[in-house]
Amino acid sequence: MKAAAYSLAFTLAVAAVTVFEVTKTTFCGDDTEPHSVDFVRDVRPIFEQHCYACHSGDQVKSGLRLDIKSEALRGGDDHAPNIVPGKPEKSPLISFVGGDDDAMRMPPEDSGIESLSKSQIATLTTWIEQGASWPDGVDLAKLLDKKDHWSFKAISHPEPPHVLAQSWPRNSLDSFILAGLEQKGLRPSNEASRTTWLRRVSFDLVGLPPSTEEVDRFVLDTRSDAFERVVEELLASPRYGERITQHWLDVVRYADTHGYEVNTERAHAWTYRDYVIRAMNRDIPYHQFIRDQIVGDAHGEDAATGFLVTAAVLLPGQIGQDDVSKRLARQDALNDIIVNTSETFLGLSVGCARCHDHKFDPISQKDYYAMQAFFSGIEYEDRHMQSPEADSLRKQELEFQLHVTEINQKLTHFVPLARPATNVQPHRKPVDARLNTDRFSPVTGKRLRFTIHQTNNLEPCLDEIEVFDVSNVNVASAAFGTTLTSSGDTVVLARHELRFANDGQYGNSHSWMSNTPGTGWIVLEFPQAQTVDRVVWGRDREGMFTDRLATRYSIEVEDSSGTWHTVADSLDRMPHSNDAPKNASTSFELSGLSPEETQEADRLIAEKKSLEEKIRLAIDGRLTFAGTFHVPDKVYLLHRGDPEQPKEHVSPAVLSALGTLCLSDDIVEQSRRQGISDWITRSDNPLPARVMVNRIWQWHFGCGLVETSNDFGRNGAPPSHPELLDWLATTFINSGWSLKQIHRMIVLSSTYRQSSEIRSDAVALDGDCRLLWRFPSRRLEAETIRDTMLATSGRLNFTMGGRGFDLFQSRGGLSGFPPVETFSDSGLRRMIYAHKIRMERESVFGAFDCPDAGQSMAKRRQSTTPIQALNLMNSPFTLAESKAFSKRIETFVAQHSDTVDPVRSQIEYAYRLAFSRAPTQPEMVDAETFVREHGLTSLCRVIFNSNEFLFLP
Amino acid sequence: MNTNLLSSMGRSLLNRREFFSHTATGLGSIALANLLASEGLLAASHPVIDPSRPFAPRPPHIKAKAKNVLVIFCAGAVSQLETWDYKPELMKWDGKPLPGGPSVTFQGPAGNLARPQYAFRPHGETGKMVSDMIPHLATLTDDIAFVQSLTSKTNTHGPAENFLSTGFVADGFPSIGAWVTYALGSENQNLPAFVSIPDPRGVPQASVNNWGPGFLPAEFQGTTLSSKEPVRHLALPQDISFKQDVASRSLLARMNQRHLEMHPGDGKLAARIASYELAARMQLAVPQISDLSSESTHTLKAYGADDESNPLKAAFARNCILARRLIEQGVRFVQLFNGAYASGGELNWDGHSKLKEQYDKHAAILDQPAAALIRDLRTRGLLEETLVVWCTEFGRMPFFQKGALGRDHNPDGFTCWMTGAGVKRGVSHGKTDEIGQKAVENILSIHDFNATILHLLGLQHEQLTFKHNGVDRRLTDVHGHVIREILA
Repeated sequence: MKAAAYSLAFTLAVAAVTVFEVTKTTFCGDDTEPHSVDFVRDVRPIFEQHCYACHSGDQVKSGLRLDIKSEALRGGDDHAPNIVPGKPEKSPLISFVGGDDDAMRMPPEDSGIESLSKSQIATLTTWIEQGASWPDGVDLAKLLDKKDHWSFKAISHPEPPHVLAQSWPRNSLDSFILAGLEQKGLRPSNEASRTTWLRRVSFDLVGLPPSTEEVDRFVLDTRSDAFERVVEELLASPRYGERITQHWLDVVRYADTHGYEVNTERAHAWTYRDYVIRAMNRDIPYHQFIRDQIVGDAHGEDAATGFLVTAAVLLPGQIGQDDVSKRLARQDALNDIIVNTSETFLGLSVGCARCHDHKFDPISQKDYYAMQAFFSGIEYEDRHMQSPEADSLRKQELEFQLHVTEINQKLTHFVPLARPATNVQPHRKPVDARLNTDRFSPVTGKRLRFTIHQTNNLEPCLDEIEVFDVSNVNVASAAFGTTLTSSGDTVVLARHELRFANDGQYGNSHSWMSNTPGTGWIVLEFPQAQTVDRVVWGRDREGMFTDRLATRYSIEVEDSSGTWHTVADSLDRMPHSNDAPKNASTSFELSGLSPEETQEADRLIAEKKSLEEKIRLAIDGRLTFAGTFHVPDKVYLLHRGDPEQPKEHVSPAVLSALGTLCLSDDIVEQSRRQGISDWITRSDNPLPARVMVNRIWQWHFGCGLVETSNDFGRNGAPPSHPELLDWLATTFINSGWSLKQIHRMIVLSSTYRQSSEIRSDAVALDGDCRLLWRFPSRRLEAETIRDTMLATSGRLNFTMGGRGFDLFQSRGGLSGFPPVETFSDSGLRRMIYAHKIRMERESVFGAFDCPDAGQSMAKRRQSTTPIQALNLMNSPFTLAESKAFSKRIETFVAQHSDTVDPVRSQIEYAYRLAFSRAPTQPEMVDAETFVREHGLTSLCRVIFNSNEFLFLP
Repeated sequence: MNTNLLSSMGRSLLNRREFFSHTATGLGSIALANLLASEGLLAASHPVIDPSRPFAPRPPHIKAKAKNVLVIFCAGAVSQLETWDYKPELMKWDGKPLPGGPSVTFQGPAGNLARPQYAFRPHGETGKMVSDMIPHLATLTDDIAFVQSLTSKTNTHGPAENFLSTGFVADGFPSIGAWVTYALGSENQNLPAFVSIPDPRGVPQASVNNWGPGFLPAEFQGTTLSSKEPVRHLALPQDISFKQDVASRSLLARMNQRHLEMHPGDGKLAARIASYELAARMQLAVPQISDLSSESTHTLKAYGADDESNPLKAAFARNCILARRLIEQGVRFVQLFNGAYASGGELNWDGHSKLKEQYDKHAAILDQPAAALIRDLRTRGLLEETLVVWCTEFGRMPFFQKGALGRDHNPDGFTCWMTGAGVKRGVSHGKTDEIGQKAVENILSIHDFNATILHLLGLQHEQLTFKHNGVDRRLTDVHGHVIREILA
């Protein structure tokens, strides 16, 4: 849009200049001799005065800078070349400063900078006319070599520095830190207490506090390797993988829904989450971890490529039908793969080069599209895993399916017969939006009519009509050869069409909608006459919609003589109520049965339910939302990132500043991903190891050595300890890319063991503690708070893996996400196992800076809000866990002491569980008075809200 | 405010200076500086957030014309052709195909051109042509600056709502309300700085993205509140009595104070203590603001809140009254939704199939209450300091969809408007072509519109940045020009 305006204005401006040239000639003619314009004397001062504010140094609006010859002559994003020697009328520079369109004229009106005078414009025009001579070497600014940047250089192998306080370092890491401190005249802090360190390292490595037994054992453990033993135990715990995976999922913005407007469920995304947990627990080498995530399908790690498709995406039905929308959506989807890969592994914001060359880093727009070409065969879809386990699950599923069919057949005998057009007391259950069965005595005919006389609102909608013959075959389906006619349709392509009424697919997105409010009919014509005894129909078997439901209807069958007979209608059903629970449907309606029949039917239903669960598991076990792969789309450089402006064709190639790998266009899809994954993990690629050790550092100290952990580019922060970063990266690579080895080194270091106490002398010199003169304490993350509350109340469920539990009453979709407020069983699992709704913050803990999975969250913020306070004080979750916590305390104290008045013991135990310590005397007095008046549960509620509970010490 | 509810420390926390002299070692302010530095908030052009008072008012970049903002957000894409963009040419072309027009648009095949579904007539001194669909709002045109040549980047509701509210089509960027309250804080310390009022029919298509904080600190997330739904977790749990709660808060304050004494100078700990005091004040202030019983019957009638024949209109009207009360109390940013998520046009303005029939219903809900709200703000003098914005994510096509009586999505030319503080009165800026399909004169983007909102609040859109993943992010991405033609 904007571009169109510019080009129009541009034409006008050129026209204006043409007129202007006449006057200029006169002006020059007045002079004796058209003097030669000198760049330094005549031209540059004009640029300085009128243009430099926006077009020099760091200011390069519209990609134009005028303080450097090569750049100025090349021109800006949209108008290049900017200066055409000898041709002022073709030089955008002149049109911009001299044109008479107010909106286009440079400098802009609102910039506060004066417009160029006539004589200044004449000077520029003459200068260009005379050949735009710009001598080399006169420029005062120097073009930065964007490639000359620390993080692009090879990893050095620094020796640990010499330090004065030689007794302090426990390992080389400490020497680097101590050297930094000594240089500033700082000293490290005292060692924290054993309990403090134990709490700290437990939260850090497993995301949970130590148990009272673990505290007691460690405090009394006098062995020289007591610390090491704790660390090994924690690293070996399955809780470790759960904890570290949470950090990883923040970076890759993992969620269990597709995001964007419809935000539907992404039902098999969790397989990727489980892959990461497994990989972390096994400590698979990090370079292998990278390869798995880019091209795991090549070596049996199917779920790992879930990494490629973690982003929000518009599904096919959610994109506009017009080609422009489709092309844009495809570019958006591919962009997210590029952004994810480059930020996560390389710490580079390659995504910035989608529309123009990167402003700070040596990443050209061509680099961006060359990178896209590695990934242009990926679709955001479920994939069948290829494994022996998957094959056997498929077999199981078929067997279960067979069972279900048998049971269904048996169950049909329990459905009460419809008694149409009679005056009987309504005895059948009311119509249900999900599923209704009308059973009748067998009747033969070639056509069946389903007529709707009334709906609960709007035009009626049917997702599928199934008609069963006496041998339980659905003779209504299109696959069977049955055709449909209707009273009239509301057509919404790919959502509501007549053909969807018998296409075998359920749900609102495959349904028929009448075009008349309240009424409508469908006639099904079988290929030949059928003897049928059952019609099964629903408005939305997926249970999302309850509107547009047929509340009065009749079903007729046409006999061979052409007479229609009503076989079932709604008159003998009980009246429908809109308040009926949405999900209360069973697949069969059973009413008016004898006790024996009920018993048998219940047994069958139970068996069926369990089979259906098994089928779901067998399907879930085979599918993974890890992308599908096809012949790669041909990739073009897109001008300004606009899919409607393709320029030259681009082949797969890695970032030109960092490597030379370039693939030919005929390389197949998987080999392309193999290519980029091999390049990323090459031993001479300095970025992945640096980026990863920095992330691990951040996970322990709250801030990385490089503060911008997703940006190691020129616009990122420089490392606080460059040598330490390289030493860690080298150690990481030498250890076989072992994450656990880096954790081990960090948490056992003297640096990590310091107290978190704030010292005024040190604050004055290093206020934000980047030199680590103390351990920087921090608030626990959202998930850790929830997990810790459950661990403290004793209700935490340690079941690992699988489909996520619900934090909301919906697993995806449009109509909002009311929170689940009471939890039991699987709802008490660790929060990493929650079904994560993209963009929707969990109602209690979301306020604690829980990322929304929209964009990568390399480093969580730590905000403090009144909403956090309200949630933690008043939520049903807090109250339920406070009760469970107090019950746990009461039970324990009752079992372990026989005192008549247990209050003091209870308080003591509460403190030990929550804070890993006993209360002090004043605390005991205060708490005792409180508990006697307000009860133990109230104390537990207060404890959950206390700073000591919520902070990593 | 009843300060007796607060602990003694809480009362002293209300004063920032006292607060920091209170933290035993006197290191408080240094710790605060550390905290801010560690959060990357001390760079010169960035607002400095006092963690104990995140909503404290902060100075704008330049002199502000407006102090606060009310956004009336009509979800689902209101047709410009049935409201503010009068296209008599369409009468002539009614029922005829558009030569050279697109064969397929967002939802499918395009049908024939269709006349405006409502009659238009001139209003006010400016004679602005407005449709009969919105007779109440039409009476306000002399005060309004219409922007009639807006364009969006996408024709899909969710991404387009993202674009309107965050400047990006992707999920995960901060909403305009979050940006504004991050920059400016709020005038009222007892209420959330940014309140979103969802429509009684449900949440808008992009739902929480419209009021999310993205990567800004969570403080600046919009709090949802409506006349139907209170703030979550504001009320005490049933099993906790008021007395118990007061005693619990007091015990908590003592525990946290003892803990702080063991960790002197830790600003984060102090800020959390303060946040509980803030929460306590909200617990008093929010129920008061939501209680409309003090409104006169005259007011209820003017807004249509008493309309028993149309419960949805009455509910939206109550939301409008709530919006006025929030603005009155100095809440910085109020976002009022009209219309919910996609529903075949039943619950919002997405008129694909039976536009006229559905718009009759939607207009009856929007028109009188929204017009009464603006008039009420003016009568009370609040419009002097309040910018009112009416917006929708994109417009609709001049032709019907094939086989339907409704219009498909059109991001190439649509209308939004502003009125109130700092806005020129009675102007229409920009134009679409003669059938209202594409903007052709003064073509503007949502970035321009948002830059203008920020400008009126005294914020320069290019300077209001926040660094995330290596990029200095802005509400306006790398675009945006203030629309000076509509400034007073």
